[in-house]
Amino acid sequence: MAPILLWLILVLSLLITLVKYVMGIIMRFSFRSTRARKDYSYEPTVSVLMPCYNEGKTVYETIESIAKSNYPNHKFEIIAQDDCSADDSYQWMQRAQHDFTNIRIRTGRNEVNSGKARSVCNAMQHSTAEVIVSIDSDCIFHPDAIRELTACFAEPKMGSVGGRVGVRNPNDNVITAIQTLIYYAAFQLYKIPENWTRSVCCISGCLFAIRRELLLEIEPVIRARNWFGIPLSQGEDRFLTHQTLLRGYGTYINNDALCWTTVPNTLSVLFKQQLRWRRSIVRDFFFTLKTLPQHVWKLHPNTILALVLVPLGALVGLLVVLTALTQDPLSWAGPLPVVTALGIGAILTWIVKRYSAREAVAHPLAFAAYVGWSMVSSLFLTPLALCTLDSADWGTRAVDPQTTQPREVPIGNPTR
Amino acid sequence: MATPPVDTLAPEPKISAPARGGKLSAANKLQAVHYRLVLTLYRIFAIAVLYLVLIGIFAYAWIMGFYALNTSWAAPVILSASDEKSLDFREKLVTSQQTIEDLKVDTHKLETGLAEMREHRAALLTLAPQLRDAIAREKAHNTTAGPALAQLDRQKLADNAKTQKVLAQLKEVEAGINKDLAAGLITKGDAAQQLSALNQAQDAYTDSKIAEVLLTDSVLDKTTTGTNTLNVLEKQAELQSEVAQLDIAISVAEKQFYEESRQIDRLREAITTAKKSPYYLNASGGQTLYFAFVPYDNQAHAVVGSSIYDCYLNMILCRHVGTVKAIFAGEEQAIHPIFKTQVRGFMIQMTLDHAESAKSKTVFLGHKPVLF
Repeated sequence: MAPILLWLILVLSLLITLVKYVMGIIMRFSFRSTRARKDYSYEPTVSVLMPCYNEGKTVYETIESIAKSNYPNHKFEIIAQDDCSADDSYQWMQRAQHDFTNIRIRTGRNEVNSGKARSVCNAMQHSTAEVIVSIDSDCIFHPDAIRELTACFAEPKMGSVGGRVGVRNPNDNVITAIQTLIYYAAFQLYKIPENWTRSVCCISGCLFAIRRELLLEIEPVIRARNWFGIPLSQGEDRFLTHQTLLRGYGTYINNDALCWTTVPNTLSVLFKQQLRWRRSIVRDFFFTLKTLPQHVWKLHPNTILALVLVPLGALVGLLVVLTALTQDPLSWAGPLPVVTALGIGAILTWIVKRYSAREAVAHPLAFAAYVGWSMVSSLFLTPLALCTLDSADWGTRAVDPQTTQPREVPIGNPTR
Repeated sequence: MATPPVDTLAPEPKISAPARGGKLSAANKLQAVHYRLVLTLYRIFAIAVLYLVLIGIFAYAWIMGFYALNTSWAAPVILSASDEKSLDFREKLVTSQQTIEDLKVDTHKLETGLAEMREHRAALLTLAPQLRDAIAREKAHNTTAGPALAQLDRQKLADNAKTQKVLAQLKEVEAGINKDLAAGLITKGDAAQQLSALNQAQDAYTDSKIAEVLLTDSVLDKTTTGTNTLNVLEKQAELQSEVAQLDIAISVAEKQFYEESRQIDRLREAITTAKKSPYYLNASGGQTLYFAFVPYDNQAHAVVGSSIYDCYLNMILCRHVGTVKAIFAGEEQAIHPIFKTQVRGFMIQMTLDHAESAKSKTVFLGHKPVLF
């Protein structure tokens, strides 16, 4: 009975994933309602909150790209908050503050390292804008990004809007090439059916816009977020999106709001990043299960399926891969997975080259390595995520133990 | 465009986490204890699971690497009495033996038939020269007798012609006798006597004519090919034909005999080979036999008499469990016990001191796979 159930769940999960991609293609070209109503004349005041940790000069480039936004300068500001970087990030922040005087830039520095989510909440205390845009400090933003995000708030029930995250370094190596194709497919296809019902399950923290009153409503929940007493700062984007949905607001990805991030180019960093994401998925899944009746009443079935079956698929996938390895240990080395990956890789490479030349991948054959990565992902990430739910470690950035305290800290600018 | 002010953030009052500062309420204390307990249990569980995962990963990698490099493993195979292959083998063997028996009967019949045909042929062949000699003898006799008879026939004809002239004169003699009788010159008795003599002469002439005709026939027989001769020649031709037919029949029978004998030999060879198969041994033997599959890569270690080791976890803590008894020649295909791929190899028979080793996933030939 148990194996049948496992297979059933896996098949359903794969089916939903497949259907989402196929529906994504169909809806993208046929369903006008997958696109939100945009009103570019709607120009609310915007605070761009940029928490930063050990980004070095990149933070300067990020502020520069935001400063060049095609949005009325008097209607937006940047609030940059350094989370006790061990490098010269804060100096670069201040330099940007000095160099880009066309907009209001405020900088601050935490007394102790306290994580992204709390830094965002703290930074928000200094904002009075109608729309809060949270960004990652290692991204570069398109000049129209803010305009594109705010235009979507013309829909009164729109709670959070995200942008498309592209890859800045697609051709560093095989690892970045694979991520480029996956990012592109995820935003351009996978999330389209979720856009249709305005119920995107996870808006990327790279570019995340939310109504101020909504964020204020959610803020106490974010601050109180913990796992058996351990404060959580990871997966704040997924959590915030989920909370937006539960409050009856819509969530949406506007693929015209562009930003580019530098994706990990080493296996170790990629592994840590994916582990952090997988932990967030697992936590979110448990949260969904815990509050399932609330979900059933409030959310669209499409959203519930995505929230339950997709992470369940990842959990069951582990068992299936284990079974497969026991039954046929060399199954992963067969030609079918590689050929399938190569086929998908070739198609995606062509699409990316045609529609987003900036992210064009030089070696489409690199996608064959995805077979190996998917094995690692299924076998190691899920059990590791399940067994390290108590970890508050960000993973991809070195943490200075002297500045890291497991306590909440105020936002401030002690150096100025 | 007016430049907006560039500013920095004013310091904020510290916000303390309520559960961490001040006095904890009883409920909070209880919750803290509950959390600590859950976290402790979770961490113990998580560490155990992660170590198990680590062990699993290393074990998997080790096993894969070990079996990729090892060249002495063999996979024990338990063949049951109702093993499909064995039963199939047995069925084929019985069929083959039955075919041999049928062929033996056939060849015996053929042998008997051949002997009879050869005897008959020999008899016919002995008859043929006798017939040929008789014909030759007759021919030689006719060659000499024919002209002589023809000469006699001609002489006879001349004699008969003369006799006919004499007989023509006898009619005058008969008329003279009748005249004499009528004249009373002679008595009736004398007349009858004289007339009887005349009739005898006529009768002798008729006999002579008959003899001449018969002689002409004899001459014809001796000097030309008559129906009798043709009959004899026909008999001779029939005899030769019968011999030729017998030759063909003997040749066909000999070929059939040869082919059937070869088929018997082939079947016997096949049965002899089959008797060396593990499946035959399994199907025919009453006792439990132990077999193992050896891939070709490990052929060098499969030597009759070499030791067999059975190991825990398929590679360590090995013990001597028996020896290789026989090596079977036929190719076998089996599923790799670890990689689950199709592997080509052959079967061996094992003598096992520990019967349970036949149930192991793998055993090792020649030596222990690792040092212990």
